[in-house]
Amino acid sequence: MTQSPPAGAAPQTLPDWPHGDMLSILARSDADRLKALAEPLIAKLPDITVLENRTGLVMLPMRDSAQGTHFHLGEVLMSEARISAQSQEAYGMRRGRDLEAAMAMAVIDLAVAIGIEPDAISAFLHQEAAAQSQADRATLARVEATRVDMETF
Amino acid sequence: MAYVATRGGARAIEQSQRLFRAEMGTITPERVAEVRRALPYLVDRVMGEASLYDADLAALALAQTGGELHEAVLLLRAWRTTQPRLTVADPVLQQDLFTHRRISAAFKDIPGGQILGPTLDYSHRILMTEVLSGAAQTPDPVDAAAISAPAQHPSVAAWQAENGLLSAAEPDTRCGNDIPDITREPLLFPAQRAHRLQSLARADTGGVLALGYAAQRGYGQAHPTVNELRLAEAEVIVQHPRGTRFSAGRVKVSQAEVVAKTGSDLRLGFAATLGWNEVKVIAAATLDLNAKGAPKGSATEEEFFLYHTEGVEASGFCIHFKLPHYVTFQSSLDAMRDAKARDQAKNQARAAETAQATREAEPTP
Repeated sequence: MTQSPPAGAAPQTLPDWPHGDMLSILARSDADRLKALAEPLIAKLPDITVLENRTGLVMLPMRDSAQGTHFHLGEVLMSEARISAQSQEAYGMRRGRDLEAAMAMAVIDLAVAIGIEPDAISAFLHQEAAAQSQADRATLARVEATRVDMETF
Repeated sequence: MAYVATRGGARAIEQSQRLFRAEMGTITPERVAEVRRALPYLVDRVMGEASLYDADLAALALAQTGGELHEAVLLLRAWRTTQPRLTVADPVLQQDLFTHRRISAAFKDIPGGQILGPTLDYSHRILMTEVLSGAAQTPDPVDAAAISAPAQHPSVAAWQAENGLLSAAEPDTRCGNDIPDITREPLLFPAQRAHRLQSLARADTGGVLALGYAAQRGYGQAHPTVNELRLAEAEVIVQHPRGTRFSAGRVKVSQAEVVAKTGSDLRLGFAATLGWNEVKVIAAATLDLNAKGAPKGSATEEEFFLYHTEGVEASGFCIHFKLPHYVTFQSSLDAMRDAKARDQAKNQARAAETAQATREAEPTP
């Protein structure tokens, strides 16, 4: 197990995973697998303070391609969790009403920031990223089957 | 108009709600899940009109209201008010959309090509009555291509601008809470473009279609051609407390540009909404295209179409007419009876005058 850094140290990151990529993968990961990874991490983390764990709305704007105006499409229901330990703040936000999944994401984010189980988390990210990429490729291969050459009409 | 509070009928009201719900039976998580799975386009429509993206809640609203769309949208709009706003995401850009369908009726050779995606546009509209006889219909699987389509496609409008057909759009610099928001500000006219597009995004599909169709049939100033239509997924990009930006998930969006020639230039109309609902965005983009210079009170005048396509307000106003109006209607009856009595008195006086004149005109024997 990696030694925890002293309180106030800069947050750690995983070598293979920029922070934004890691969060995006966690936000889209299978909820059950995410919770299964986070559960045992809790015991290895220092005392956690839960700052927020709630559902709420994220307003989603879009840029109008005719005149460039930013306008609001509507709101998306999200679950978020904001926690801290050893002066590190961690965060989880995912679509839907699953507060546990948002908390699991925040726990993993906190574990990475403090340096707990980086190898296990990195392996999980590789696995989930591969699954997400595979799902996207499969979707886009089905989409590609509908490409139309108008000359043949 | 005057209203009056009424009392009584609590038992009847309670029973009427039971009667409404009795027809739907027990609402279970399984039923909600089945609505979500089996009716994705209806769920999308409700999410778009409610301006609240969550397929589980939309399916629940549909299950709870027996598919009464205006009630379902109202339920979601009401539920939305119970939730805090956590943040405003980064603006979605057309060229970043994970695209499932992207077509143009204006140019066949658009950069990136045309992808039909999921559509019934070219299908035979034949009802599968054999299903009712017990023959389940399982769709044939898609023969996936050996290669994947690109997830992102370039903007047709940007390509047109590069070729001098359109003026390039000047990107808005406003982000976050600086973007005008009709859920927090009044809709005033002439409306800010951000208010117009947000109103159309959450507008009633049927209302937008009716007015957009009117414009397309000739009651507008410009005939639209679909420049680009997309059904896609957009990343919801938010910010971590440490400043890192990440995607908290994807949502389905539809967007349409329509184009018309005005003089020596091309002009675009635009609309987008949450969920996949291409009829709505094509009709709404037609209204956007036609709004400039529209005659007052016409279907394509901004104030007219924005006020009359707000589904919750429109349906609420419409159905309020069935609620007790006894005082106002009684007042109308009183006025009607008074008018009748006055007419009757006038007629009687006129008849008496005529009779008198007749008697006076008769020769004396």
